[in-house]
Amino acid sequence: MSAMLLDHLTLAIRRLKTRKVRVLLTVLGIAIGIAAVLGTVSLGEGIRMQAVETIRASSDLTLIEATPGNLDGTSYLITPSSVEHIRSVPYVTASSAILKDSYASQHQTYLPVIGADDEEISKVLDLRVETGRMYTSGSAEAVLGADLGEYLRRYEGMQIGSPFPVMVREYDDEGRPRDREIAITPVGILSPRDDRYDSALILDRELVAAEKSGQQGFDAVLIRTGDHLEVAEVAGDLRELGFSAGGAFEQIEAVNRFMDVVILIFAIFAGVSLVVGGLMIANTMMISVYEQTREIGISMALGAAEGDVMRMVLLECLLLGIMGGVAGIAASLAFSSVLNVVGRPLLLSRLGGEFSGLFGDSLSVITPPMLIAGLGIAIVLSLLSGIYPAYRAARLDPIEAMRS
Amino acid sequence: MTTLLSLEGVMRVYQNGVKALDGVSVNMERGELVSILGKSGSGKSTLLHILGGLDRPDGGMVSFEGRELNFRNRDEIIMHRRKRVGFIFQQFNLLPSMTAIENVEYPLIFRGVPRSDRHSRARVLLEQVGLSGRIEHYPKELSGGEQQRVAIARALVSDPLIVLADEPTGNLDSATSAGIVSLMREINRERGVSFFIATHDRDLAARADRICTIADGRMVA
Repeated sequence: MSAMLLDHLTLAIRRLKTRKVRVLLTVLGIAIGIAAVLGTVSLGEGIRMQAVETIRASSDLTLIEATPGNLDGTSYLITPSSVEHIRSVPYVTASSAILKDSYASQHQTYLPVIGADDEEISKVLDLRVETGRMYTSGSAEAVLGADLGEYLRRYEGMQIGSPFPVMVREYDDEGRPRDREIAITPVGILSPRDDRYDSALILDRELVAAEKSGQQGFDAVLIRTGDHLEVAEVAGDLRELGFSAGGAFEQIEAVNRFMDVVILIFAIFAGVSLVVGGLMIANTMMISVYEQTREIGISMALGAAEGDVMRMVLLECLLLGIMGGVAGIAASLAFSSVLNVVGRPLLLSRLGGEFSGLFGDSLSVITPPMLIAGLGIAIVLSLLSGIYPAYRAARLDPIEAMRS
Repeated sequence: MTTLLSLEGVMRVYQNGVKALDGVSVNMERGELVSILGKSGSGKSTLLHILGGLDRPDGGMVSFEGRELNFRNRDEIIMHRRKRVGFIFQQFNLLPSMTAIENVEYPLIFRGVPRSDRHSRARVLLEQVGLSGRIEHYPKELSGGEQQRVAIARALVSDPLIVLADEPTGNLDSATSAGIVSLMREINRERGVSFFIATHDRDLAARADRICTIADGRMVA
């Protein structure tokens, strides 16, 4: 059977050789279609990769904040037992249940407050104290984010180690703010970290809980995972448990969703050229069936069944598809490297130096699965385009065909 | 002798109403070389096409080796074409992109015969038709007589029971024609293959075992 297929393949190659120019043009047509699709998809993938890299470089991707959520109409609060539950989720390496509140300084500076266990939060947020020390549990001590500490020291005369009065802002029954003063002792200022904790006031959780009467459970659990690939999995698990999961990783999810749509739209437009390629194959094969009508008739008289005739035509299409696919892959690789070598510096010179972080080293990214898909599309397309010509060939009347 | 084929009241009416065959009945013995004599348009080509399974009758019965051919069964007709018959045409009908030996091998590809086997069978036949020196030539490099010899070798390559020849000398001069007819006679004698030769050439027909005459789609006594 395979030897017979080889015979048919040899014959198909010989038939194609008798019309080299038309074969070349058809192959070029498919190649351009494949290259256009692969080119646009690779450009999209390149942009996606750059965007993800940019987010990854500037944000803390392995941190998740779990907050109370809803699942199937049930609200899930963060209680001590759910904290235990969250700790047992796979890939969670550290966690810290926190309470949130907002205080104000005497000069009405807004102070976002986080109440947490000192050891847990140090581990989860990888806190580094730049001046002073970490607060001790059970005390009224606090540490300040770098920006907040700098500000209060400079403009409000705060001193490390000295009590500093802050206002706990409450609202009365008519919604009017009513401040109550408490004294805390700033004992340390954290290193800058370029996130929202730079402006936070971090205190012992028991202290915050005492000032925040009437709340059950916690406001959130901060969770650290091993690496950025595990984040999505942990976030998924948390959502299944009924909690909301947020963090910088959401930006990546959003970028991926957005790029999926963009790449799809790109590919659809580029796919139009594939349709043209398919029509070219159909046209070439219709002409070739017409030209070979006599040969087909003779073959039938000599014992070729309808299936043999169909196979003859489809094998030619298969060969056209393989050649077009391979040429298209080569063209897209060439296109991609031209884009990276010439296009990227050009784009950067237009956009200016501040964009050099964008488009790290490549503008266009081609992956092996994309190449395999390109070849596969070319082959499937060529076979589909060949069905009708093959059917026409198989239905020829041998007597009429031999007379032509 | 045993009966190879028999036709009984075979009809073939084309869509335009032309009665190509109007009740033809013929019998043929195994190993016979029969010529069918008739003018062009007399229906002899149609008769050959029906015998070869390229056309179907609209009435009557065609039997091979005592069994009726069912023209509606495509598989049966394909097997009939592959196993029982070989064709020779007036136009030779060699494939121009193939050498002489490849043309002779070609029918065997559809029969799934392995390459080496095909090659040796084709070579033997080309030697038998006197073309051992020209096996790698393309049709356009061969004379008409040589092309028809290649076609004869091709018709024989699948060991058919009968060779159906449609005006085999119609495109050849008389000297070459005589050679082709002699070759067919010789092969008929040596291999025992039946020949059914349609012609309008009385001299050629005269060298057959038996002559049938056809006119207007009917056998004439």
